[in-house]
Amino acid sequence: MSAGAMTAPLAEGLAAYLSGLWNGPTTIEGLSRIPGGASRETYTFDAVAADGRRRGLILRRDPTSSLIDTDRRTEFLAYQSFHGHVPVPEPVVLEMSSEPLERPFFIMGRVDGGAASSPFAPDPYAPHAEMLGRELFSILGRIAAADPLALPIADAFEAPAPQECWRRELDYWEAVILRDERHPQPIVRAALRRLRANPPPPAQKLSVVHGDFRSGNFLHDGQGHVLAVLDWEMAHIGDPLEDLAWCLDPLWSHFEDGRAAATLPVDEAIGVWKAESGLEVDPKAFAWWRLFNSVKGQGIWTTSGKTFVEGGGLDLVLGFSAVYTARRHDQILADQLERLVAEEAWA
Amino acid sequence: MTPTAPELLNGCVAALSTPPSAEEAGAFATGKVAIAAMLDALAAQECATGSAARVWENAAIRAVLADAAARYHTAAEDLGDGDYSLAALDSANAELRRRLIRLHEAVEAAHDTTLDRRILALYREMAAHRMLHLPGQG
Repeated sequence: MSAGAMTAPLAEGLAAYLSGLWNGPTTIEGLSRIPGGASRETYTFDAVAADGRRRGLILRRDPTSSLIDTDRRTEFLAYQSFHGHVPVPEPVVLEMSSEPLERPFFIMGRVDGGAASSPFAPDPYAPHAEMLGRELFSILGRIAAADPLALPIADAFEAPAPQECWRRELDYWEAVILRDERHPQPIVRAALRRLRANPPPPAQKLSVVHGDFRSGNFLHDGQGHVLAVLDWEMAHIGDPLEDLAWCLDPLWSHFEDGRAAATLPVDEAIGVWKAESGLEVDPKAFAWWRLFNSVKGQGIWTTSGKTFVEGGGLDLVLGFSAVYTARRHDQILADQLERLVAEEAWA
Repeated sequence: MTPTAPELLNGCVAALSTPPSAEEAGAFATGKVAIAAMLDALAAQECATGSAARVWENAAIRAVLADAAARYHTAAEDLGDGDYSLAALDSANAELRRRLIRLHEAVEAAHDTTLDRRILALYREMAAHRMLHLPGQG
């Protein structure tokens, strides 16, 4: 079978869909699946109109299995919310029906000229790491500063009360862990109990929480500039400290615990975020959100392990997440628990 | 429990045996081979150290349960490691971990600081024994 014939179903479906959307014949060139992005199938392609106009696009289609339960509408609304305010791809169209391409999908503009680094590569942003870090944490501060209720993403969520942000997230991820656990996990169970026994103060404001803002989830140009923040599928409304703590989790430090996402020294990154957001970082609250995020990570890896095994092991990204990142997060959780009890007098 | 070494290796076999569609034949297929290689390396470490890590962890949990027996009525002498196959070790480990979780809950409720800190230190050691390293990470 020729490559062209094998490509036909997806490319033809896309061509038909975009021809209808744009009221004119559109052809698809260079359709190719991109690795990574375990929560969606991601494809790059060019759409070419009859007059020769060419547009670089990205297709994000629901997978047959996934690391996490996510809603493509949430991700699309997040792009709509922040396009023009922070660097994100331009949202083009959201299709909730499975009819055109077998599963729901959305299409967004392709951002060329950049790359996303592996979160486990050593020192991936040198020699522009500090410049990149200032931009990265400034962007995160702008996301935190925005009024979530004035943005399109507010249509997808009921805003929690500030004092309930932590409980809602903890309830959700605890349920995920208990649902998908294949083997007893005493470390994460202990962390769950400690989080309930030592709740944080109410959120100082409600913000859009990206949900997975970290090294590896943005495109950069290799010269110290962020081109696009990606992977908003876990976005929600909540405490802005959640995102900051996730980005500073040691799992995403590229094995350099003193630097935030392998960019700035941690204190400096927090300073950039505070200046841009106008918000404070209460140490007690931040300690809670840091431990919580390691629990949340363990929730994601627990589900990935279950899905990997039940899916016959076909999705190797899920297997990697379940076997490597899960063990790293157990180590990170154990270290935090010991320190919080010994030094911060957590009950 | 994270996927076992056989589950990882069988996953690699299944994934690499599945012909890619045309749109998956470029960067996606290259990425799949790279991650299969990484998983093979992790599975090799698990084969080399997984049994020892489980034997150590089971013994360490038994020791904590035995030391706590007088106050918390915990027991572990009924749980052996069987034929030392990974399946037998994991089976014993699952029950030992369940008992450790129950013990830790009781210790927290009793505000037993000394045993709480011993269990937290055990968690740190358990995680360290189970840790795998990426190729090139050392």
